Amino acid sequence: MEKLGVAPVEVYEPFRAGLPPLGRYWRSLWARRSFISEYSRSELHSRHFDTVFGQVWLIINPLLLSGVYFLLIVIIGGHSDKVRYAHLTACLFLFYFVANTLTGGSRSVVKGQKLILNTAFPRIMLPISAALVALIRFLPTVVVFFVIRTIIGLPLGWAMLWAIPVVLITAMMALGLSILISCLNVYFRDVANFLPYFSRTWLYLSPILYEVSALKPEIRKFEVFNPLFPILDSWSRTLVHARPPQMASLLQGLAWALGFLIIGIYYFLSRERDFAVRV
Amino acid sequence: MQSASSSQHKPGDLAVSVQHLGLTYTTTIDRRPTLKARLRTLGRGTKHTRIVRALDDVMLDVPYGSVLGVVGANGAGKSTLMRVISGILPPSQGRVEVYGKVSTLLALGVGFNPALSGRENVQLGGLAAGMSRKEIEAHFEEIADFAELGDAIEAPMRTYSSGMFARLGFSVAVTVRPDILIVDEALSTGDAKFKEKSLNKIKELRSDARALILVSHGLGTIRGVCNEVAWLHKGTLIQRGEPNEVVDAYEKFLKVGKSAAINEDV
Repeated sequence: MEKLGVAPVEVYEPFRAGLPPLGRYWRSLWARRSFISEYSRSELHSRHFDTVFGQVWLIINPLLLSGVYFLLIVIIGGHSDKVRYAHLTACLFLFYFVANTLTGGSRSVVKGQKLILNTAFPRIMLPISAALVALIRFLPTVVVFFVIRTIIGLPLGWAMLWAIPVVLITAMMALGLSILISCLNVYFRDVANFLPYFSRTWLYLSPILYEVSALKPEIRKFEVFNPLFPILDSWSRTLVHARPPQMASLLQGLAWALGFLIIGIYYFLSRERDFAVRV
Repeated sequence: MQSASSSQHKPGDLAVSVQHLGLTYTTTIDRRPTLKARLRTLGRGTKHTRIVRALDDVMLDVPYGSVLGVVGANGAGKSTLMRVISGILPPSQGRVEVYGKVSTLLALGVGFNPALSGRENVQLGGLAAGMSRKEIEAHFEEIADFAELGDAIEAPMRTYSSGMFARLGFSVAVTVRPDILIVDEALSTGDAKFKEKSLNKIKELRSDARALILVSHGLGTIRGVCNEVAWLHKGTLIQRGEPNEVVDAYEKFLKVGKSAAINEDV
């Protein structure tokens, strides 16, 4: 068997703990980028495949959701006005973007079991796809919000463009969380069961059903522990009130987002070679 | 791209070289690893993982232009070996060198998402394996034709029978022409007609420019098609060599092993 002069295309050797070679990993991921978009597309397609309304659910869902919560605050709060409804809708939609990423992300790796066992590919594609699915589901809700906003007759302003960096920061955070939770769920399957209650609690702890200004100062002291707090505050300021956000809030949100992303990627990449025997 | 690169390999060139390969992995004892079980036994020193020795010092060379058959009882490590060669499982000891593009289409990989149609599964599987959209498009007709699924290719794969699953898996594996082709148990399901068709396909693929690894329980097929056979048992390579010789030894072992296994179990 002639071996001289021919370099092996692939060499598989025992790996040390820690990260795989990142350059190589990135190239392999980039070469498969169409998988991510294609996978997300089929996921979305199959989700509403059997329903009568089909893809229209992407619009019906957020409308029903905001209706239910508006009913709740009307009954509990006793009063309501249009600004409050706009705030609720805007924040609820953004919150559900993050919550949907968590739900999708937590199942992504375990659901891809058969693929993981039979194909060599960068496993991180699975939680990235899950985050992309949540993002695509989020986009129509922005349109819904703008329709609501126009009907209510809230003022428009150039400061609303600040919503774009806010969405980018949120997307970054959602991606980080998706990667982190997908890996966690491989080792502790309870995560997926526990998640709905966690999301619900997070929803109530965030300024969604109420506005930040309505909070007592003693409670506001704890806001630094909620990653979504600065983001939702900025989101409501820009989209509902058409005012620029506070820089401190944006930076705080960005710090959380980067933190989740870096920790998530590190944890995932150092663990993923173990997935094939764990899922 | 794959079909173009296969022409440069001369028969006799090394395709896959497995050197002192060992694979151990820790796996959970619990059926489902949960936080509750962890917490309940916290501090008691109960182990939640055990070490499984799946492969032990396996040496194997596969040259281009040959067909290697792999036989062994269930749990012998055949599929694990294939997964290491295709880069899915990293080895714990030793080294695997691969001189070409491997098709990682162990038949089971197709149909990973039962909610999606056969077409979508094939496309996604191909994309995940690193093929381009164009390559998949180019092969898709051939895959669908060979699998003979008809309109069912557009139906969700949860509606497929196990035979249809196997047929699609096999079609994907043989249609995408890689340098090194691994066919894992794909021949075992499917009706007699398809079995014959797939056997003919394997024979057709036995060209000089390709290396084939065939994992099968169908010993007749192994005898008929392979140039060399490797017999694995509980992670170690027992014997390799002439197909008839190795398969005879394996068959003998199966008959003797049956009574020995019964004794062991008690």
